[in-house]
Amino acid sequence: MSPADTSQDISRVYRFLAQCMEYPDSEWMHDDFFNVFYNFIGTLGATDEGVEIKRAIDGAKDALEDLQVEYTRLFINGVPHVIAPPFGSVYIDQSLQGTFAGNTLAFYREKGFDMEKHADLPDHLVHELEFLALLAEEQDHAGEEEFLQKLFRPWFRKFHIRVIDGAHHPFYRVVVQLIDLFTKEEKDGFQPNEA
Amino acid sequence: MAFNLTRRKFLQTASLAAASVPLSKVVSANSGVSKSALDAKGTFGDKTVVGGICEMCFWRCQLVGKVRDGRLMKLEGNPKSIDNGTAICARGNAGVKLLYDVDRLKYPMKNVGERGAPKWKRISWKEALDECGTKLKATQDEYGPHGICVFPHGASAKYPMHYFERAVGTHNVSEASFFQCRGIRDTAYVATIGKAPGEKVDMPNTKVLFFIGDHLGENVHVSHIKQYVQGLQNGAKLIVADPRFSAAAAKAHIWVQIKPGTDTAYMLAIMNYLVQNKKYDADFVEEYTSGFEEFSAAIKEWTLEKAAKECDIPASQIKEVADMLADNAPNVAIHPGRHVSWYGNDFQRERALACLTGLLGAYYVKGGWVPAKGPKVKGVSWAKHDHGHEFDLNYDHEEDEKVYTNNPPGTPTDLIRDCAISGKPYPIKSCVVWGQNPMQTIPNQEKMKDLFRAMDFVMCVDVMPTDVTAWADILLPEKSYLERHDYIKKGTQWDLSKEHQQYISARMPLVEPMFERQDQVYITNELAKRMGHGDKIPVQTIEEMVDKSLASADLSLAKLKAEDGIHIQPGKDPYGVPEDFDVLLFNEDLDDNGHPGAPTYIPVEENPAGFARLLYGRAPVHTFNRSQNNIWLKNAMPDNPVWINNEVAAKIGIVDGDTVGFVNSEGVESTTTTTVKVTAGIRKDCVYMYHGYGSANPLMTIGVGQGVDDTSLITKLAIDPETGCHGMRNNFVKLIKNGKVLDLSA
Repeated sequence: MSPADTSQDISRVYRFLAQCMEYPDSEWMHDDFFNVFYNFIGTLGATDEGVEIKRAIDGAKDALEDLQVEYTRLFINGVPHVIAPPFGSVYIDQSLQGTFAGNTLAFYREKGFDMEKHADLPDHLVHELEFLALLAEEQDHAGEEEFLQKLFRPWFRKFHIRVIDGAHHPFYRVVVQLIDLFTKEEKDGFQPNEA
Repeated sequence: MAFNLTRRKFLQTASLAAASVPLSKVVSANSGVSKSALDAKGTFGDKTVVGGICEMCFWRCQLVGKVRDGRLMKLEGNPKSIDNGTAICARGNAGVKLLYDVDRLKYPMKNVGERGAPKWKRISWKEALDECGTKLKATQDEYGPHGICVFPHGASAKYPMHYFERAVGTHNVSEASFFQCRGIRDTAYVATIGKAPGEKVDMPNTKVLFFIGDHLGENVHVSHIKQYVQGLQNGAKLIVADPRFSAAAAKAHIWVQIKPGTDTAYMLAIMNYLVQNKKYDADFVEEYTSGFEEFSAAIKEWTLEKAAKECDIPASQIKEVADMLADNAPNVAIHPGRHVSWYGNDFQRERALACLTGLLGAYYVKGGWVPAKGPKVKGVSWAKHDHGHEFDLNYDHEEDEKVYTNNPPGTPTDLIRDCAISGKPYPIKSCVVWGQNPMQTIPNQEKMKDLFRAMDFVMCVDVMPTDVTAWADILLPEKSYLERHDYIKKGTQWDLSKEHQQYISARMPLVEPMFERQDQVYITNELAKRMGHGDKIPVQTIEEMVDKSLASADLSLAKLKAEDGIHIQPGKDPYGVPEDFDVLLFNEDLDDNGHPGAPTYIPVEENPAGFARLLYGRAPVHTFNRSQNNIWLKNAMPDNPVWINNEVAAKIGIVDGDTVGFVNSEGVESTTTTTVKVTAGIRKDCVYMYHGYGSANPLMTIGVGQGVDDTSLITKLAIDPETGCHGMRNNFVKLIKNGKVLDLSA
C-alpha cells in the first residue's frame, strides 16, 4: 500500500469521525450508516461496543430522537447542564471564540484553508476533524502532527473525559474513544482501556 | 472499552483500506472547512466597528466593538457619544462574555420531557416555527386571542409584544418593567403632572439632591451617574432616605435612616411643614398647581412629631431636610426613583414626590425636574386595531369600571395569572415569554409554575437558558444585542447646562450571529404567517424596520454608519415651564374613583415577632437576574451577602462571613445559602441583599446556586390599589444557620 493510499484512508477515517459528531439527522444517520459504523469498530476489535450500541438503537422507541436528545444534552444545552461543548476554546479560554479559536482559524489559513459561510466556529470538533481530513488528503503529515499537538489534543483530552463520564448513550462514548484512538500520539503509550 | 489494535498497528495493516473505503459512502459531501481560493489571510489586527448599543441594562449606552477576525475582543464607549461618552460600566464591558457564553441558547429546541423538568432536543427553525404557529393558532381559534398571554421584556420584545397586542388582539400582556418596577412611578406622575417622569432630574445643576431609596452608585447607569457625580462635584447637597447605609447614603449630607414602608409619611410631614411655615413656592403653586387647599387640608395631620414617630427618625432631622429643600428651592432635584414597586402603597409615595417637586417650584428649572428636548424619531411596528374591552381583564364588567384605575400599559400580572390558573372569567391556554424571566422577576414562584402547568402551550425566546425556559415546550434562541439591529437610542447631551445638542443612534450588529440565532422580526413574522396574520406584517426585516424609523428623521442606517454610528444635531433649551403645565396636588379623578385625592400615607404590615423585613436592591455589576451567568461579573461579585445589623448579629451569635439560609414568614425556605455581612449600616428591623442571584436552572452553569434568590422568598403579595402593580418588600425572614432557625428580633 502506497503512502498516498494510506493518507487517503486516514482522511476517510477523520471525515467519518467528523460525520459521527454532526447533529443526528435522518438524512445521514440511517441503517447504512450504522452498518458501516458497526463494521468499522468491529475491525478495531470493539465488537462488544457495537453490540451495546445496536441494542440501544434497536430497543429504542425512537432511536433517532434518543440520539438527538443525547447530542443536545451533551453538546448544546442540556439538563442539568451542557456536558461537553465541542469547542476547543471552552476548555482553553473558558469561553467560546477565545484566543484559541482565533489561533485555530489562523492555522487553517496558514495551510490555505478557510471556513465556509455555513460553518460552525473554527474550533468545533467537527471542523477540526474535517481539517485533519484535508491535511491527510494533501499528505501534509507534519501539519497534521503539529495541529494535533498544538490545537487538537490540548482540549480534546478534557472533552473526551467529560463525554466518557457524562454520556448516557453508548454511541457517543464509543465515538469519542474512536476519535481519541485516531488522534492520540503513539509515543504517549496508547492505553486501550484508558477511559 | 477495548480496541484490540493500536492506531499504529491499525494503520500499518491492510485492514485500514478495507475498513475505510465504506466510510466515505455514509459521509455528507458538505464540509465546513475548504480550500481557500485566496492567499492565506493571516490575522489583520483589530477593527473598530461602530453602531453598538448596549443592553446589559436598559440604559443602553453607545458602544464600539474591537473586532478581530470576526471575534469581538473588547467593547468601549463610542467616542462620539454625548451621552455615556467613552465610558461603559462593568456590565457593559462584560457583554463580551454574554456574547460568547457557552451556556447561551444556540438552536431552536423542543422539550420532549416535562415542563419544569425538560429534556431538550435540537430542532430546525421550520419545525419550531411550525409547532409554535400551529399551537398558538389553535389557542387563538379555540379560545380567542385572549387565550394567549405574553410576558415580554427588553428592546427585542417590543415588536412581538405589539404583534400579540395589536394584530392578534390579546390584552393579556404584562411587562415586569411596569408591573414589578417603574409603572407605579409613571402612572403616579401622569396623575400629577400629566406625564411620566423618567429619571429626568437636572442633577449636574442642582443645589440639593433628594433621594428616597435611590442608591445610585450601586445602581449604575453611566450618563445618570455622570449627572449625579457632576452635581456632587458642583457642590450639591445630598439627602438620602434609606434604612441602609447605601453607596448614596455614604455620600449624603443627611442620611435619614427611615423605617421601611414609611417614606410617604416622611414626605407628607416635609410638605406640611413647608405649607404651614409658608416655605413653599407660592408663585409656582398659584400659577401651575391645582387643589392646593384640599391638599393642604389632607396633609395637615402630618406634623413633624407624628412623622418622626411613624418613621422612627428625629423630628429635627425632618425639619432640617425640609429647610434645606426650601432654602435651595426651586433648584432642587426630587428624584422620582425607578424601581418603585415596594410595599403596595407606592402610588401614594410617588404622588408625594411629584407634589413635593411642585410645592418647591422645581419643575422645568435649573436643577429641578427637567425633560430634555430630544429629537423626534417615529417608531415602526404593527398597526393598532381596536379589539374592544370585552376580554380585557383590566375591566370589571359587572361593575362597569376598571379594576385598577391607574394601571400602567398592559394588564397587571396577577389578573393574568389568576385567570390562567382558575380559568375564570375565561381560559388562557398559551403563554409566550420573550426576554423576561418571570420566575425571578415576578413574586410567588409557585403561582407562576401553576400558570405554566395550566397551559396547553408555552414558548420562550431568550438569549440564555434562564429559569423560566425550563417551563417551555419550544425554546427559541435570539440574537443578542451585539448581533442584531433594532433599538433607536436618542436624546441630548447629559449636562443640560452645556451646549444644547441632540443625538440619534440605532443599534447595529458588532459581529455576525453565531449558530442559528434569529432576531425578533424574523421570528414574529414567521409566527404571524402561521397564525393567519401575514397580511398585517409591517416590515420584512429588522433592517427595514430600523431604516423606516430613521427615515422619519431624514436618516438611514447607511448614513448613521457613515457618521460613526451617532448623528448629532443642534438641540433646544429645555428650561421654562410650559404654559399649560399643571400639577394636580389634589386629583379629583382619583378622589372620584375612591382613591385619596391628595397623597396619603397607608401603613404597611409590621414585622411578625422574630422576623426582619427582607429588602433587596441592585448590585453595581449585575442587572436584575440577567447577568448572573456572566463569568467576569460573577468573579467581581460572586454572591449576595445579606446585610444584618451588628447588634442583632451579636445577639444571635452571627459573625461576618457566616453562611446562612432563610425561611420566610410563610414557611418558604431558600434553596441555597449566602454569606453574612455584619454592619451598623442597616436598621435592626430589616435585612438586605442584592437581587438577581441564586438561579435554580442548572443550565446556567455559572449562576446556578450562587447566593440566594430573593424572589424565591417573596411569596406574600401586596398589590398597589391604584395600579395593580406588585409590592415586593412586605416579606419577612429569619436566618437558618447549620439547620437552626434564628430569630431576628430588633
